[in-house]
Amino acid sequence: MVANIIFGIGITALAGALATVAGSSEDTESNIGSQGDPNSQVQLAPQMGFLHRIFNKAVAGEPPAYGLWCCLGAGLAWAFMAMQINPVLAIVLGSVLATFVQGVYATTAYVGRTASLAKFGQPVYVDILKSMTSVTMAHAFIAIFCTVTLCHLINTALGHPFPLPLLGLIWGIALGAAGSATGNPYYGKERQYQNQKFGAGVPISASGNIVRYAEAGERNSLDNGFFTHKIGGSASGICFGLIVFLELWRTILFEQVGAGWGAIIVGVLIILIFTVIDRYIEVWARKNYGPYTEVKEVSS
Amino acid sequence: MSAVAAKPAAGGAMNPTAMAVGIVMLLILVGIGYMVSPMVLTYAPAISPTFALMALLGVIIGGVLIGFGTHFVPVGGAPAAMGQAPGIATGVAMLAAGAGLAGLFGGAWAAELGMVIAVVTGGVGGGLMMAITCMMVNFVYVFGMGIPSASGKVANDPITGDSQAEYKSQGTEGHGLPFISFVGGVIGGILGGAGGTLIYLELLSLYEETLPGMMQITPAQAMPIAVSAAGMFAVGLFLVNAVLTAYNITGTIEGPHDPKFKRWPRAIVASAVASALCGLVAILIVVPL
Repeated sequence: MVANIIFGIGITALAGALATVAGSSEDTESNIGSQGDPNSQVQLAPQMGFLHRIFNKAVAGEPPAYGLWCCLGAGLAWAFMAMQINPVLAIVLGSVLATFVQGVYATTAYVGRTASLAKFGQPVYVDILKSMTSVTMAHAFIAIFCTVTLCHLINTALGHPFPLPLLGLIWGIALGAAGSATGNPYYGKERQYQNQKFGAGVPISASGNIVRYAEAGERNSLDNGFFTHKIGGSASGICFGLIVFLELWRTILFEQVGAGWGAIIVGVLIILIFTVIDRYIEVWARKNYGPYTEVKEVSS
Repeated sequence: MSAVAAKPAAGGAMNPTAMAVGIVMLLILVGIGYMVSPMVLTYAPAISPTFALMALLGVIIGGVLIGFGTHFVPVGGAPAAMGQAPGIATGVAMLAAGAGLAGLFGGAWAAELGMVIAVVTGGVGGGLMMAITCMMVNFVYVFGMGIPSASGKVANDPITGDSQAEYKSQGTEGHGLPFISFVGGVIGGILGGAGGTLIYLELLSLYEETLPGMMQITPAQAMPIAVSAAGMFAVGLFLVNAVLTAYNITGTIEGPHDPKFKRWPRAIVASAVASALCGLVAILIVVPL
């Protein structure tokens, strides 16, 4: 019994670590590819007269895109394992094949979306296509591999009833949701609009005027990945890592307590702890940053 | 940035005729479910004649919970990614699906502990996912970008009473997640996770009973097929209801304090009809026709 719990906690910690790497890599991949909501500005900029060399591959929203890729990787790995191939090799092969699909989507998305901007004079840069696609694929491979591996651990070591492809779909969508929610603002506001004031949102009138020049020459998406990985990528990794770790942790340790109510009570307590942390952050910001304008005496 | 300037009044009015048509469609679909329900006895003679009908009603209730819960999730879409509008910077259907499916994952794990435990576990799993995500969103806004939270829809936060207008930076509709949005996100995750788990459990119990007789296999052999089929239908129904709600709120919403939230009755009817139709399809695969 105790050995089982210790084994479960070990698997939980490993799954949490894999999820952290997956979340970080997912956000960096989407930022290099300009997937997710900040893509609207990459697409808008040429229409406002700002031509750029930013990669532009909004294949889909990040959650369905990663749902597809992780489900594909998990499904192929599951098929390879059914063919008696070693699980490690099967997961690597499944993830590689899923990454190729991502690469195909990235290529067609960049060419298609950029070609649609031809009337505004935006060129399709072949060197950008060649140098960026492989980098997004590399990051996508890390994210897919880590997610499929944690799904495999959940399925075989922790005994979750869902088959591997379904777990891949569920955690792929959750990965995309966590990564896009946490990482998008940092890329969309802090990097694309580095020319705007720090500590304030981008005025709507500035839409489309994204930063296009770097220290030397024109900015490209590799610079964006380098910049956003430090905070946006790390925060996304912590977010997805916490989700996976705490969800598994409360189940492994407390599900047998009180016929299942133990895990529920612990889950509610964790939610309350995060609520307090969130409120602290909100109040801290209001106190330390202060209002932008004078406080109005009478409010409706 | 038309999404920022969009006024909730557009398309916000209820259409009584459409609602009535929706309710009639719902009754027709439930009636069909009532007619076909005894037919599953061919494959599982021991169960009640209304077993499949009960599963259909469970699916409808689960779908309605998902549709209603999605209204609580604060989603700002593309404007939120530039700090131009409050909410989480992603699509509403996607975020709701991410939270609800994380809940479904936990609920399915607890299925053997009984329906109440499993549904509550699913709800808490969805709420946990949203609590962590919303906290990290505010973390990035505050410590990564130096921007405090501010709502664009209310003068004061309905829970904390904090004033909002002076914390909106110039030229924006607000940014980040005020406390009411955080609470809304958690409630949305709880309702979505519970609804998805309820759908899964209802279909799982139906398939567990009928698939062995239908496929002439043992219950142990039917179990993986039942789990997979119920899981896929639960995921599919989740996306159907989340996308319906995304249309109802035209893509973005701040949370329960947003005027768009008042449109929820329309989504309830739409979710019930869509869930009834999808649930009927899920039941018909084990009905000999």
